[in-house]
Amino acid sequence: MPLVEFRDVGYRIAGRDILAHVSFTLDAGDTLVLLGRSGSGKTTALKMTNGMVFPTSGQVLVEGRATTEWDPIRLKRRIGYVIQEVGLFPHFTVAENIGLVPKLEGWSRPDVERRVNELLEEIGLGSPEFRTRYPRQLSGGQRQRVGVARALAADPALLLFDEPFGALDPITRRELQQQFLALTRDSHKASLFVTHDVREALRLGTRVALLAGGRLETVATPQEFRRASTGQARAFLAGLED
Amino acid sequence: MDRTKTVAGLIACLLLCGCSRPDADRAIRVGSKNFTEQVLLGEIVAQHLEHKLHRTVERRLNLGGTLLAHQAILSGEIDLYPEYTGTALTAILKQPPAMDATAVLARVRSEYRRRFRVEWLDPLGIDNSFAMVVRGPEARRRGLASLSDAARVADGWTLGAGYEFEQRPDGLAALENTYHLRFVSTPRSMDLGLLYQALEHGQVDMIAANATDGVLAKLDVKVLADDRHAFPPYQVSIAVREDTLRRIPGLRAVLLDLSGRFTNSKMQALNYEVDGEHRPAAEVAAEFLKEQGM
Amino acid sequence: MRPDLANDVLRLTGEHLVLVASSMAAAILLGVPAGILLTRRAGLRKWLLGFANVAQTIPSLALFGFLIPIPLIGGIGPRTVIVSLALYALLPIVRNTFVGIAGVDAAVCESAVAMGMSDGQLLRQVQLPLAAQTIFAGIRIATVTTIGTATIGAAIGGGGLGVFIFRGIASVDSAQILAGAVPAAVLALLADGGFGWIERRLSPA
Repeated sequence: MPLVEFRDVGYRIAGRDILAHVSFTLDAGDTLVLLGRSGSGKTTALKMTNGMVFPTSGQVLVEGRATTEWDPIRLKRRIGYVIQEVGLFPHFTVAENIGLVPKLEGWSRPDVERRVNELLEEIGLGSPEFRTRYPRQLSGGQRQRVGVARALAADPALLLFDEPFGALDPITRRELQQQFLALTRDSHKASLFVTHDVREALRLGTRVALLAGGRLETVATPQEFRRASTGQARAFLAGLED
Repeated sequence: MDRTKTVAGLIACLLLCGCSRPDADRAIRVGSKNFTEQVLLGEIVAQHLEHKLHRTVERRLNLGGTLLAHQAILSGEIDLYPEYTGTALTAILKQPPAMDATAVLARVRSEYRRRFRVEWLDPLGIDNSFAMVVRGPEARRRGLASLSDAARVADGWTLGAGYEFEQRPDGLAALENTYHLRFVSTPRSMDLGLLYQALEHGQVDMIAANATDGVLAKLDVKVLADDRHAFPPYQVSIAVREDTLRRIPGLRAVLLDLSGRFTNSKMQALNYEVDGEHRPAAEVAAEFLKEQGM
Repeated sequence: MRPDLANDVLRLTGEHLVLVASSMAAAILLGVPAGILLTRRAGLRKWLLGFANVAQTIPSLALFGFLIPIPLIGGIGPRTVIVSLALYALLPIVRNTFVGIAGVDAAVCESAVAMGMSDGQLLRQVQLPLAAQTIFAGIRIATVTTIGTATIGAAIGGGGLGVFIFRGIASVDSAQILAGAVPAAVLALLADGGFGWIERRLSPA
């Protein structure tokens, strides 16, 4: 059973199709990158996965069950979520931000503590002074690392990324991409990753899905994608040569 | 908040008056305090002056209370305004209340002339003293006609009164000393405008109102006669600055036209036109002058 | 100060504080939940803010007159004053609660929802702490204004420092007016300073 399955998903609002006839599956160990221009519907597709948006036609299944059947809060807590604006709570310390979901899930205090330390180590913010800092005292790259750590905290099987590295400088972005690969390579996690950066898509994805005008144009491995011949894919690939 | 404004206004007025300068061609400034009867009288005087003297009249009606009106006439911010002998005697001159109407007027006149250079013209014919009012059905059931009758009521009264009545020696104190009414509690002090409503809705069962209140004629209420003369006279006269009288020839004669033209019941009816029928004071004033052939 | 006034200053100041404290407690208990409700029910926005707006423009004497015959909340005395003052204080509190919560960074709220916070958790753990300073600013404005407005309570037997002002105006006695106005101004300044201090400490990290 795939971890996530989109079955002929459509999203129509105010007479306009944001998504139409989108179908794909995502299995453990996979990183599927949703590539597309702004307005292509990729973020909507992402938000459908954890039940922040529901399809107006078709179904999104998570662990074999439609998102509409899930308890909305249970579903979201099983899925890690990272967005470009990070969305760290400004009034929480780094440790409190990271420990949020485990705490909501009712973990014991020492367990939360241990998990937070583990994650801080993993994202390279292991030195103790970071624990008690507030988000505004961090650099953009550090903030985004904390955002990733927060998404990983309850050890979810599925992670969603909404252009998480888009606002970072190229060097930091590169570092975080490396870290992303390290985090996802040998785990049993599955990731759904939204970006408009074809380089990033080819670097991080085990498969790349190209969305154009709400429709899925191509789903391919990075190698296959480089040889794709559809209009949008060629347009994106042309960007690589600049 | 209104009171804050009043205080602010008072300060502003005190500051302003230092700079204003009398001037021969200046408009006549007619003042009044901020309740219906005063505004009506102010309006009547103003229109009368416009008709007879053909001069510009500036209305400064609605001054916030005796204190403000008095300060305004002293400083020349207004030239004249209607005032009550009893108020002038006790509130302005700080003298003990007295009962004889002629003597009170004479004392107020001479003191104002000596201390303020303000003249009191002959009374208009109104005596707006305090009036103790009860609900009509209660008065009939208990056979109450006077305050002496009310004093015999054994289970006592709940009194509603304005702050002026509560504070003044010729108000609550005079009532208590003369009649020894039994009160259930300390008087409920409130704004004059709310007294009749409080009486009607049974929040209080006696109120200290004014003899010329317009609604007295219309509501089912009973004015208890002041049979043992607790309350001093409150005759209305126009108080005018002496320098204004000198500056404008004929002003005195025209103002004296109004003396004796009024009665308490006439004033009650005029007040009712404004308070009860919600007509503009200027319109009611014009009608009165026409009816008097002026 | 004149001895006759000194006797009353403490009592009337106490009465004044009771008027302000009770009406503010009522306004906060009603206004903050109402403001929260507005962030949840867009349809109520125009209606509720409109009501609070209109309530603020009713002249106090008219409101008192209207409340006299109404049982439980009306009559002659402090109760009517507290009801009226609470009504006047409602607008800044409702508005600031709404604006404070609506102004919390959308990305923060979105990630809170995506983390699997319930609406109650979102409100208590994220929105209220981040909006606290704005909400408190509304309470501060309302309190300072109410301290001044409460002097009108004397118009309907509600007591408080307004009694001095009403008496002073009625009996042409400026010492008495000042005996009411000065303590009221001092109270307002103290409240403003004290609340300002708390407000700064509430600043979201």
